[in-house]
Formats: sequence, structure tokens, C-alpha cells
Amino acid sequence: MSRKEFFVNRYRELGWEYEPVCPKQAIRINTMNAKESDVVERLWCRGVKLEEVPFVDSGYWVCQSKFSVGATAEYLLGLYSIQEAAAQIPVSLFTRLQNKTVLDACAAPGGKTVQLANLMHNSGAIIALDVGKRLIALTNHLERCRVKNTIVYLMDARQASRLKLKFDRVLLDVPCSGNLTSGPDWFKMRTKEDIERNAAVQREILTEAVKTLKDDGEIVYSTCSLEPEEDELNIDWAIKNLNLQTVKIDCYGEKGVTSVFGEELDTGVENCRRIWPGQTQGFFVCKLGKRECV
Amino acid sequence: MDAIKDFASRFNTNLRLNQNFIIKKENRYFLLNPRLKKLVSEDFFHAGVYLGKAKDGKFFPSFSLLAMIAEKEDANKVVVNEMTEWFFICGRDVFRQGIVNVAGSKRVGDHTLVLNQHGECLGFGKIVQNLDEEKGRVAVWNVSDVGDFLRREH
Repeated sequence: MSRKEFFVNRYRELGWEYEPVCPKQAIRINTMNAKESDVVERLWCRGVKLEEVPFVDSGYWVCQSKFSVGATAEYLLGLYSIQEAAAQIPVSLFTRLQNKTVLDACAAPGGKTVQLANLMHNSGAIIALDVGKRLIALTNHLERCRVKNTIVYLMDARQASRLKLKFDRVLLDVPCSGNLTSGPDWFKMRTKEDIERNAAVQREILTEAVKTLKDDGEIVYSTCSLEPEEDELNIDWAIKNLNLQTVKIDCYGEKGVTSVFGEELDTGVENCRRIWPGQTQGFFVCKLGKRECV
Repeated sequence: MDAIKDFASRFNTNLRLNQNFIIKKENRYFLLNPRLKKLVSEDFFHAGVYLGKAKDGKFFPSFSLLAMIAEKEDANKVVVNEMTEWFFICGRDVFRQGIVNVAGSKRVGDHTLVLNQHGECLGFGKIVQNLDEEKGRVAVWNVSDVGDFLRREH
């Protein structure tokens, strides 16, 4: 069996019939820097045709453009970010972000960090962590988009408790195996071992995040992986081992799968959202809180 | 912190930032707010608003600092038309014909901010032709522009 067949069979078991897809490019307008309608009009005048993404605020699909939307004056001035539509969902799930202390544990290249700052109106504080050269991309993004409320540390998310801070909100957009929309070679490049290794790292990050979360805090966990080991199985594990509970969310996507390859998961996993590739890339998102507080 | 004050004075304005909230990390300067000042620890990589860096006796401003200076009414500024805006962010100099408005100094040798017609700061340059003259060739040399964000990526 080829690797592609291996993955396609798994998706079929989870309820999705594979088909090649090419999601549309999307942008998100940084309303802290400009009025949304003004930016849409300015881009329209440049010949960029946009269509509102129905399931996120200030998100637009790029339907037509004669040039890269990453090379306009509006982009360089931080009036919008290029951010895939499904990737705009996680930050939108937090409640009452203004003036909060927020951990963005795997922050680079910073699309979601900027989105957080935007929804916080640059109030409160974001602590953004990541490792390696990715920090340069992150800080460039923060500077371009005029983010003022963020402190960045060169730190592995698995060491976050060293900060000795407690957070109201924790974003875990964890490193993952990606999905088939990232390119034609995805199937060739991924193995089950990769997925299991990533899933183990993700559990370590979840474990560390819980140590930093205030009792009434919120965690949003997301991946762009379609593999249940990194998604529903990790959330099931967190419910059973980290005293966490899922929170119902009202957003785009299908309910999390509670029967995975013959294993029955906690019913709370249903509160997760699984997004099969189509209009967007493949994605998984879940909101969690400490059990006694949910 | 004098580096920042001195840099702003090149545009004939006085930028007063609260010194208690400016922190230096190696050769880089950052402006914090009280909340961040309370939270930040010494080993940070980036914090608050990046202001710029000092290197070999020169100060290299961030675009956030330039935007702050541009908010000062008395700062030297030129406003450019849409075509010149595009050329400028591609790293080109500004021709006199592309300037639609001048505020502050028009003297050769002075520095000036370059703004688009929405009042957004695109970067800065050095005046190389008296801006009172209606025509001519290059009027403002490009020293730094926001197209740098793209050039950094490559």
C-alpha cells in the first residue's frame, strides 16, 4: 500500500472521501490599523476582488488579483495580513480578550499573534514563544502590523511554566504534520511515525500549558493536521489526564470524531471542530477549560 | 536614548518618549507600556514597540518610530502621489513631480518623511533638490522604505 493509499483509507474511515483541493488565498484585515471598508475599497481600486469569508470577522478570500497581495502598500503598512481562512478561526473562539494576559505558545510566523493583538485592541499583554529563526519572521510581522502589546521570548512551548506567569487565555497552535493541501508531495513526505512523534510533542505542550493557565482560563488548541492522533486522540487524552474539559463552540466545521479506528473517545470530543479540505485547508480546533470551571 | 531624540531632531521635531519605558537589548531599543514593563524579563527577544537599532555610530529607525515622528505636526514631510508611492516602496527615489504636498523643511540636505495620500508613513529620505522648485529630477533620496519588509523575507 502506498503512503497516499494509507492516508486516504484513514480519511475514508473517518468519514471523508479524498479529493484534490486548492483552497483560495485569504486575507484578514487588521481593524486596529484601518477601517475595514476603507481597506476593501483601496484593494478594489487596485483591482483586487475580495469575497467575505462567512465564518470569520474581517476575513476575505482573494478571488482575483493581477499581482501578489503580499506586495501592496496596504500590506506593507500592516492594514491586512495574509492568513488562510480556517487559520483565522482559533483566535476568534476566545471570549473577552481585551486587557487579558495571553500566551501564544507556538507563535511564529505571527499571523495569529497579530490577530490576537487586533482583537485585544493592543491592550493587555501577549507573551509569544517560539524557537529558532522563526522568531525573525514573527517580529517582522509584529512590526509591520504595528503590534504594541507583545513580548517575545526564544523559548520552547514545553518550557512555558519557566515564565512563572499565569494566563487568562492560552493559544496552542501546535506544530503538526500539516495536511495534503500544503503541496503535492505531502503524502510522500509523511509517515505514521512522524505523526506519532508530533502527537507526543503536542501532548507535552498541552501538559505545560495547563500549568500556566488560570483556573478560569481558556485554552484554544489547533492544528492543520487531519490525523486524529494529533487532534481528537490528543484531546481525549487531555480530558482524561489533564483535568480539562472541552467547551462548546459555534464555528465552521464538523463535530470532532468520537469513534476513531475502533476506539471510543470521551463524548466531550464532539465539541471539537474538524475541517476537511475544501474551501479551506484541513484544520482542527478545540476550546478547553479546567474541569471544575467549565 | 539620545539616539532616538537625535534621530527625531533630523526631521526638525522633538519626540518626547518616557525614558522609563524605553529598554535597550544589546543595540536595539524598545518602547513598553506599564503592563509590559511589569511583565518583561531580561531574556526577552522583542517587547512592545521596536524603535530601532544603533550600529557603528548610526541609528537605524524602525517603521513604528517613523510613524510616531510622522504624527508630529511640525515634522518634515512630503506627501507623494500613488505612482510615486509604489516606486518609493520599491526602493526608488522621489521625483519632484511625484510630490503633492510639502510640510516643514524644503532645504537640500535635510531629512524628510515620505507619506502617501492617506497620511501613512512609507519611510524617509534626504532632500537633494530644493523643494520650492516645481520641476527637476530626483528631489528626495530614498533612505528607508516599508518595502524593506519584503526585502527582509528574501
